[in-house]
Amino acid sequence: MTLDVFLLILRLLGIVLLYLFLMQVVISITRDLRKTAAANDDTFGKLPPVVGHLVVVDSGPSKITPGTSFSLNPQTTIGRGPTNTIQISESFVSAEHTRMWFRNGVWYVQDAGSTNGTYLNNQPARDALPARPGDIIQVGFIRFKLTQ
Amino acid sequence: MAKHIAANEIGRRHYRWKELGLLIVPFCILLLEMFQLPLAQYYKSSIDTNSQQIPFSTSILPTVHDLIPILGLIAVIVGVHIVLTIFFPKSDQMLFPIVALLSGLGVLLALRTGPDAFPYDVNLGTKQLLWVIIGMVAFLITLFGLRSMDWLRRYKYTWAVLGLILVGITLGNALRVKNLDSPTHDQLNFGPFALQPSEFLKIIIVIFFAAYLSENRDVIAEGNFRLGPISLPPMRQLGPILLMLGIALALFLGVRELGLALLIYGIFLSMLYLGSGKVSYVLGGLVVFFLLGFIGYTLFSYVRARFAAVGLDMVNWQDWNSNIIDFATNGSGLQVAQGLVALSSGGILGAGFGLGHASALVPVAQSDMVVSVLGEEFGLAGLFAMVGFYLVLVYRGFRIAIEARDPFYQLLAAGLTSIFAIQTLIICAGNLKLIPLTGIPLPFLSYGGSSVIANFIIIGLLLRISHNTALEREGLA
Repeated sequence: MTLDVFLLILRLLGIVLLYLFLMQVVISITRDLRKTAAANDDTFGKLPPVVGHLVVVDSGPSKITPGTSFSLNPQTTIGRGPTNTIQISESFVSAEHTRMWFRNGVWYVQDAGSTNGTYLNNQPARDALPARPGDIIQVGFIRFKLTQ
Repeated sequence: MAKHIAANEIGRRHYRWKELGLLIVPFCILLLEMFQLPLAQYYKSSIDTNSQQIPFSTSILPTVHDLIPILGLIAVIVGVHIVLTIFFPKSDQMLFPIVALLSGLGVLLALRTGPDAFPYDVNLGTKQLLWVIIGMVAFLITLFGLRSMDWLRRYKYTWAVLGLILVGITLGNALRVKNLDSPTHDQLNFGPFALQPSEFLKIIIVIFFAAYLSENRDVIAEGNFRLGPISLPPMRQLGPILLMLGIALALFLGVRELGLALLIYGIFLSMLYLGSGKVSYVLGGLVVFFLLGFIGYTLFSYVRARFAAVGLDMVNWQDWNSNIIDFATNGSGLQVAQGLVALSSGGILGAGFGLGHASALVPVAQSDMVVSVLGEEFGLAGLFAMVGFYLVLVYRGFRIAIEARDPFYQLLAAGLTSIFAIQTLIICAGNLKLIPLTGIPLPFLSYGGSSVIANFIIIGLLLRISHNTALEREGLA
């Protein structure tokens, strides 16, 4: 055996090892992806339950069609910002406009420091007010009806 | 319920088996290449004296003594692995093995190119080894020091100003003392150390962009400033970012650092897209980029000189006239032309580590043209594997960004990862004559202290973010 052959063997071995490592990394990535996919399926079942709806009765100056229904989670925020549960992209809706939560079978509505205010049956909801199904909730200039 | 308990048990099992498993093959690769290097040198010196076939005997095999640099590096890597296991068991396990392999290959390349390069430097490999070890220390300091990263976000303007002042001083110094064509004109000398602040400025810029965009992303994404059919981001919110970008670009263009300017503009565009989710901003940014590029091309001769190398027709070299021959053998086309010759002589399987000629024939082979050296000695197969490692590295970085909860961490991780992606893209494309060659290092593989330390700090930040995310998810933080 000459040195050429020995060096060729080393070179091929090096390339094989490089790809072996790449394969090992890719395999552990796929395994990791499967695991997160399974975990996501798991949390999918744990999504906050829908405990009611808001139906638009009067859309005011906005482009939302009356009759549109939004699902409510036990903790719901309404506003213009992308982090809200219900996102309404209208200039008269503040970034975080209204907070709603469901406790002991009763809905509570509270304004979140908005510019144009939140009203429950035409009462300003600066403090938390209890709401029942059928009540009218006004966010800015949009009026919703609370339904089950 | 059973599933829940199982998840808890996995959480309690702290040892990073996956990382250890992934480290074994890199160790084998590094030892194998180190083993090959003295053999290749012996082969080259024998081939010079007699053109006969050289017989193989066990007496020419390298001893353990020759493997010391890599054995030392492996010891340090194992040490870092143990520290990670004890203190940061939840952080990402795939990044460190990839980085260990790449930085080890960087040390090997410096060991290999040092004795051949011009100016000749036998200690290049030892220096790079030292830089990698310092880099790993910086990596651990970053991990330990940034328990909470809120102060990074809170003092964003302080960081921005500090970084710009540091780079400004260096560049002013460079303009005054040295000429702009020397490769070290952007270094700052601290006694025996020469630091390149621009390497650290890119981290600072990403921190600033991430902090600023995460605070103002809603407003910027909305684009209420309309110009016909195009909606522009509101100028008041975008002002500080544009100012920062403008200063950075002016600094680098002023001293002809085209590569860094390109890198910073690329980071800006990707982070603006990530923060706002609007393709129109990126398209607009690209239009502005091509306009500026065209203006630069017509105004500055050095930009035209860089572009001239892209026009070299390497395939039909027989048809070159004397002007082109002069340009490619003595002029500024030499580096690119020789790099391409080296790449093509490597072929698919390569010449073998230590047996190529690129490190002696291509100027600055150890840092700017490291792709050519890799391509010649490891071949197309080896080069593809390297690109694969960078892809996986970038993938993991974006994965960490997706998993993070806070918008600041998401943007920070994604921006830091984009540094690797864009830098690799620019330097590889430059070496392959797809775009003008610019002197920015290939992450971890190029020789260079500041670059290695800055890259290790980036990896440290990424691991810290992944560790924080995992802690948050388990409700421990």
